[in-house]
This record gives sequence, structure tokens and C-alpha cells, in this order.
Amino acid sequence: MTQGNNGSWAVILILMLFFMLPIGWLLVTYTAEPYHVVSGEPLREAVQAAGITVVNATDTTWPVGGAVGGKTYTLSDESGNIYTIQTQAFDSVESRDAAVQLYNSQSIGRGRPVGKLIIIGNYLIYVQPYTGKILKKIAPELRKLQAA
Amino acid sequence: MSEDSATPRKNGIAPQKVLGIFALAMINVAAVLSIRNFPSMAVYGWECIGWYIIGTVLFLIPISLAGAELATMLADKDGGVYAWCKEAFGEKGGFTAIFCEWSNNLVWFPTVLAFIASTLAFAISPDLASNPVYLFVVMMIAFWGTTAVAYFGENLSSKFQNYGVILGSIIPSILIIGLGVYWSVSGAAIVLPPFSLGEIVPTLDLSTLPFFATVILLFAGMEMAGFHALETRNPRTDFPKAMAISAVIIFFCTVIATLAIAFVIPADQLNLAAGVMQAIEYFFTALNIPGAIAPMAVLITIGGVVSLAAWLIGPAKGLGVVANEGNMPPLFNRTNKYGSPVAVLVIQALIGTFISLLYVFLPSVNQAYWVLSAMTVELLCIVYFLIFAALIKLRYSKPDAPRPFKIPGGIPGIWLIGGMGAFGVLFAFGVGLMPTGDFTSAEAVSYTLGVLLGTFLLAVPPLIFLKMKKPGWIVSGSKGG
Repeated sequence: MTQGNNGSWAVILILMLFFMLPIGWLLVTYTAEPYHVVSGEPLREAVQAAGITVVNATDTTWPVGGAVGGKTYTLSDESGNIYTIQTQAFDSVESRDAAVQLYNSQSIGRGRPVGKLIIIGNYLIYVQPYTGKILKKIAPELRKLQAA
Repeated sequence: MSEDSATPRKNGIAPQKVLGIFALAMINVAAVLSIRNFPSMAVYGWECIGWYIIGTVLFLIPISLAGAELATMLADKDGGVYAWCKEAFGEKGGFTAIFCEWSNNLVWFPTVLAFIASTLAFAISPDLASNPVYLFVVMMIAFWGTTAVAYFGENLSSKFQNYGVILGSIIPSILIIGLGVYWSVSGAAIVLPPFSLGEIVPTLDLSTLPFFATVILLFAGMEMAGFHALETRNPRTDFPKAMAISAVIIFFCTVIATLAIAFVIPADQLNLAAGVMQAIEYFFTALNIPGAIAPMAVLITIGGVVSLAAWLIGPAKGLGVVANEGNMPPLFNRTNKYGSPVAVLVIQALIGTFISLLYVFLPSVNQAYWVLSAMTVELLCIVYFLIFAALIKLRYSKPDAPRPFKIPGGIPGIWLIGGMGAFGVLFAFGVGLMPTGDFTSAEAVSYTLGVLLGTFLLAVPPLIFLKMKKPGWIVSGSKGG
């Protein structure tokens, strides 16, 4: 094997290593969200447990395959800030994951998609904005539902 | 050097001078203009104008002017972003910039490929979008097909992009604009409130920071034409014109088409989690032309493919130049008879295929993808920061170098333009490190450190390769493929 070839393999190895390290770390740290049927209204329960007011809730069904219905909640915190959060239940793990994929492919320009999807069992919860105080407050309650 | 002479590359292959103003402009339009952005921005109603102005002032104008000055100043240098940053910061700076752009691409490819496949599914049978086998097959056909187009050189790929961008980006945008105008003049109700200047002012607070950062990178890709310097007939005159034309097309198509959608679809019906085609379906159904939905899906798919092509070819060409200059082993230096960096294209396609496999068949790893996408944003910010820094530095280190296009205003002018651009991308970089509200404190720390470390790992290989560099890596006249 020539010196040049040795260099080639070393460079390919480094390339693979440096791509696999962050991807591997992510796959180990952030495991797949399990699919299980969550009864009731997970977001309403989380919101009420966090002491946030539900100003309005309307039925909504996302126009994607396998979506079986959910709600659009208008929430208000103690400072009067208004947030809109949507929930949607899916009939199977495949349809739920396809919706996640579809959402991830809707990035703006070279950035990320607007908002964030949180997975709780058979539900997707769409939050925008995701840096608001309300999400911070309801997150622990959502986490309990995720673990249930 | 004569502008029209065919400057031989270090591999001995003289590039074909096939690109003019139109072709260069279309490369940028293909890379930047995307129908995908319109519904997401239309949610903001009149406010979207303010957001677009922010993106234009903090990024589109600076990157267009920077690209025009650097591309004309270094018109006889191959490699685009690599050549620009190398001129200012040496091989380390140039190699790091192009490698960040390239590695950013590798993680972005599955996203755009999934978009292409799910949009095409809408034209065939929407249920296909939830079939991973369908998704993967279409993604691979688009990916390897575009790689094959790149393989056959500049002549074919520029034609592909010229026709593709008109069909897949400009015509759909004009169609949406035309229908929006028709909706307005036909007396149908415009769902936006009456216009006032106050309506366009964006809400700037902590909750809109992530969106602010996203908007800055909305026009990323304006540097793509720069990768084709040696294939340009008259780079010194054509680049500034192409930059101006593409910036104007992108800005007006984006702003007016977004408003057209906002005129017709109420914000609460624009379900961002459901995607662009659902918004297009609502738009055409409201206009009583549901038969146009499937053809529109095909056109938007074409738009996705040409966007993929622009990003797939440009940075690969840049990395090919890095290899030609002996900064990577000869394996990476292989160029085919069409002048395409065939080894880089194949390696890129193999890594992209592997990441696409993970993307399609491990889809429920939602959080992992979220973090990975944050890393890609950070990588892109590094690229653009280096470009703006190079623009400013070269005014000091090479003040007398001929600049057929020069940003006006002397040193204050260059600091204003370069400074605005650098500020914008540094801001976006900082916001990219912000964890989302659902993370615990420990997860937030892990997220921020993880994004920083991951970005570092994806950006650092060039510095290792340069340490490993051997004299034998410079192979003149190497051909393969």
C-alpha cells in the first residue's frame, strides 16, 4: 500500500469517526419516543396541573395521514401572555412518525422548522414559540405523561 | 489574465466557460428560493414583511454584496467560499469554511430529500408519505440522480438548474402571486386585517428569538454562484449582475408569494406541522381550482430537486479544489473528464445515503434530529461568519487588489456591510445554543454543550487533515471516474 493510500484510509476513517461521534451520541442520549395510547386530553391535564388557564379549546384534525383528531388550545399565563398549542392523536406509530418526518422536512431556508413537536405516546404536541415560559411550566407535567 | 481564457485547474483539466449572468443568477435562485418557506412565513400576516426586511438587511444584502466583491476580486481562483476565506485566512480558514458548508449539507440532505419525496407523494397518493420504503426509494432516486447530473459537469448541471428553477421555483411563485392578485381583485375576502405600517413591525422578544435567528438564514445560499467562478465567461462583470438579479428575484417572489398565501388562508388554518402541500391544497381549493394541486406538487418537487442540486454541486466543487491543492489525499482528488470532483461526489453520496437511512428508518428519534439540526445551523453560521470576516480582512491585507465590484463607502462601508452580516450570523449562532423550554436544567446544559461539541467535531477535521498533509498528496493531472 502506498503512502498516499495510507493517508486516504486515515482521512476516510477520521471523516467517518467525526460524523459518527455526534450522531452516535445523539442516538444514545435521545432515545426513541415509545408509542402508547394516552387517554383523555394530555395537554389540558398538564396545563391545569401547572396552573395555567385554558382560554379556549377547539377541535382540529391535521390534514395528514393517520391523524384522528386533537385540539387547538389558547393558553394564558399570569402575565397575560397568550400562547397557542396544538395537539393531535395518531392511529399508529407509523403515522405518528411520518407526521414527525413531514414536520422536520418543513424547515425555513437552511434553518429549522418553526416551533417544536413534542411526542407523548400517540399524541404530537406542536408548540410555538418553544422558548416561552408556559412550555417551561407545563414540561414537567408532560414529562409525567411521557413516562406513563 | 484574460477573463475568457480557460484557466487550467491544478489537475490539468481546463474548465468549460459555459456560464453567463442568467445561469449564475439561476444557481443562486435555485439554492435560495423555496416555496417551502411561504406558508411558515404567511402565518405572520403583514408582519412577515418586517421579518423579511430583517432577513434582507442582516443577511441577503450583506451576503450578496460580499459575494459580488469577493467573487470578482478572486475571479481567477477556483473554489468559491474556500478561495475567498483562504485568501484572507490561509488554508486553515478556507478549508474550515468549505468543510463546514459541506458537512452542514450532509446532515441537511435527508431533510430536503424527505421534503421531495413527501411532496411528490401528494401528487401520486398522499398516503405514500407515511411509507418508509417509498420515502427512501424516492429520496435515493433524487439524491443519486442529482449526483449523476453533477457527474456530467457544468454544462449539463447548469442547464438542469436553469430549466428546473424556472419550472420548480419561479413558475409556482408567479402562479401563487397571480392567484393572490386574482383573489384580491375578484372581491373575495382578504383574511388579513387592513394594512398599516404598524402591522409590519415584527414582535421582538424572548419568545420570537428563535424565529428571528431562522429568518436571518432564510436567504442562505447566495454564495453558491461563487463556486462556479472558473466556468463563468466574464466573471468580473457577470457576478455582480447575477447577484443583483438573483437577490431581486428571490426577495420579490418570496415576499409577494407569502402575502398571496396570507391573503387567502387564515393563519389558524395554516397548520405548520402539516406541511406546505396542505397549505397549497387549501389555497387552490379556496380558489376553486383543486385540479391544480397535483401539478403544483410536481412543480414544487422539481423545485426541491434543483435546490438539492445547487447545494450538492457547489460545496462538493469547493472541496474538490481543496483536494486538488493537496490538502486531502489523492483519493479525494479524482476529477472526471467533465471536470467534476467525482470522488467527493461519491463520498458525499455514500455518507448522505447512510444519514438518510437513519432519518427514514429511525424516525421516532425526534429529539435527536432536533439537536442535529441545531448543529447544522451552527456550522452554517461559521461559514458565513468567515465569509464576512474575509471580506473585511481583505480590505486591510490586500487594499490594492483589483476589485471590479467594490462595496461603496470605503472602510466604513465594508465594516457596515460585513459587520451587519457578521452580527446576524453570530446572533443566529448564539440563539442556536438556546435550549427549548421543555428541557430540564440538566438537559439544557447537556443540549448546549452537546451542540457546541458536535459542531466542533463536524468542523474540526480540516485542521487534522492539514496536520496529516503529505507532499505526495499533490498529484497533478489526476483523473478518475
